[in-house]
Amino acid sequence: MSALVEAGGLAAGYGGRPAVHGVTFAAEAGHTVAVLGPNGGGKTTLFRALVGDLVPLAGSVRVTGRPAYLAQTERTRLDFPVSALDVATMGALARSPWWLPARRADRRAAAEALERVGLEVETHARFGALSGGQRQRVLLARALVQEARVMILDEPFGGVDPASGERMDAILGELRGERRAIVVATHDVAAARTFDRVLCLNGRQVAFGEPGTTLSRAVLEATYGSEIVVLEEDGGPVRAVAVQHHEH
Amino acid sequence: MPSPLDLLTLPFMRTALVELALLAVAGGVLGVWIVLRRLAFFTHAVGSVAFPALVVSGPIGVSSQLAGLAAGLGYAAGVGSAGRTGRDASAATGLLLVASLALGVVLASDVVRAPAAVDLLLFGTLLGLDGADIASSAVAAALALAATLLVGRAWLAVAFDAAGARALRLPVQRLDAALLALVAAAAVAAVPAVGALLVTSLFIVPAAAARLITGSVGALFAASVGLAALQSLVGLYVAYAVDISPGPAIAVVGASLYACAALAGRSRGAAAQAPVTPVLDARGVAP
Repeated sequence: MSALVEAGGLAAGYGGRPAVHGVTFAAEAGHTVAVLGPNGGGKTTLFRALVGDLVPLAGSVRVTGRPAYLAQTERTRLDFPVSALDVATMGALARSPWWLPARRADRRAAAEALERVGLEVETHARFGALSGGQRQRVLLARALVQEARVMILDEPFGGVDPASGERMDAILGELRGERRAIVVATHDVAAARTFDRVLCLNGRQVAFGEPGTTLSRAVLEATYGSEIVVLEEDGGPVRAVAVQHHEH
Repeated sequence: MPSPLDLLTLPFMRTALVELALLAVAGGVLGVWIVLRRLAFFTHAVGSVAFPALVVSGPIGVSSQLAGLAAGLGYAAGVGSAGRTGRDASAATGLLLVASLALGVVLASDVVRAPAAVDLLLFGTLLGLDGADIASSAVAAALALAATLLVGRAWLAVAFDAAGARALRLPVQRLDAALLALVAAAAVAAVPAVGALLVTSLFIVPAAAARLITGSVGALFAASVGLAALQSLVGLYVAYAVDISPGPAIAVVGASLYACAALAGRSRGAAAQAPVTPVLDARGVAP
């Protein structure tokens, strides 16, 4: 097995202070890795270090090729005068020198990627006018055009309608079959059980391994602290419910 | 009422028209990037920072273009390095803006004793331009067009999603530095014509107005340059007809065009949104 993503003793953060540290994990070709943790637990910080947006404060990180990164939706600009096709075409910047104009083949690849995520009708719609789930699918199309072997998705299912969620699930399954490595941040502990590996973060690495053995009650409580209620079923913690704190 | 044709027949008006046409290209094109990257405050500050440098350039025997360029690029380098360390330079920019204006006025009135220069530098003059002013505007326009053709695709990706662009391994830092330097240089080139305080009238107002009435990047560039040219032409004629300074006249016309665009954008937005939403909803819930 060849690891496409490897982190060893990684610490990353802002202004010299680590938001997450002690992260040692690998994502192999054809594997999906779920990253679990509370808000502020360091998921996005880890991802920004993986894509090269943050320089590690300690440890090492290695990613094969140019990863595709789907940031949380609010990080991309909704008031931008770009169409779904424009956004998907940006993925082609990874395939040819950035100072050359987009080629016809790039546009065709972008249109095909939009078709694959089920947005052929919305090709020329303005990105900001699409629903949250559709926007995530456009960004997924951009990642497809990029032909990245490593895909890093930050809560891709947050605020996504069920139809978009199912479509994305299906595509992630296909991508796994294409021997890509897929790293996904999620709040859904039940869904994380369908991944090949889980990585639990809470300011530090709590655990990494196969979900069956890793997602114990102790690990989940260490990961989420008081934010979670673990429900036992048949001897193992099958369901975990995050308690939502609303501060006003 | 004087004839609009005077703008073409009077030699000093022809010079002003050439200068404004060049600045409409530079300001209209770079304005799109300024608006998309939210660099309006930066652009405004460049003019102010160049002001004291321009005041002293004559008395100390340095070309005003070079002195202004040095000040503008120095400021751009400062903002660029602040951005790289994740700091927001806007508070420092506000301070620098005030300090530069004050320093320029003090220098002009008490040190180099050229109080007449203050008005010209702050509000511009289209009637006393020399060949070097036209040449620097021509260079700014050419660079703005060339950079947009060459770098525009990468600039757009960075503006849309900087983290995604870094993941694409675009040289984001160098792309940002190039944009800041180009905007600074072009804004300084516009100071003799429209004045340190009014460079925004050509570099921000047309693009901001175009943003309200266009839906694609290509249309945004076309409308931005078109509006910049239109407000320059109308402003210059109004200034000539009622005998006022052209810089402020162009700024007032630009603000009026922005107001029209805001009204047009509002009614257009309301009309455009109605048919789109149900179609998207219908697809969103379809299996």
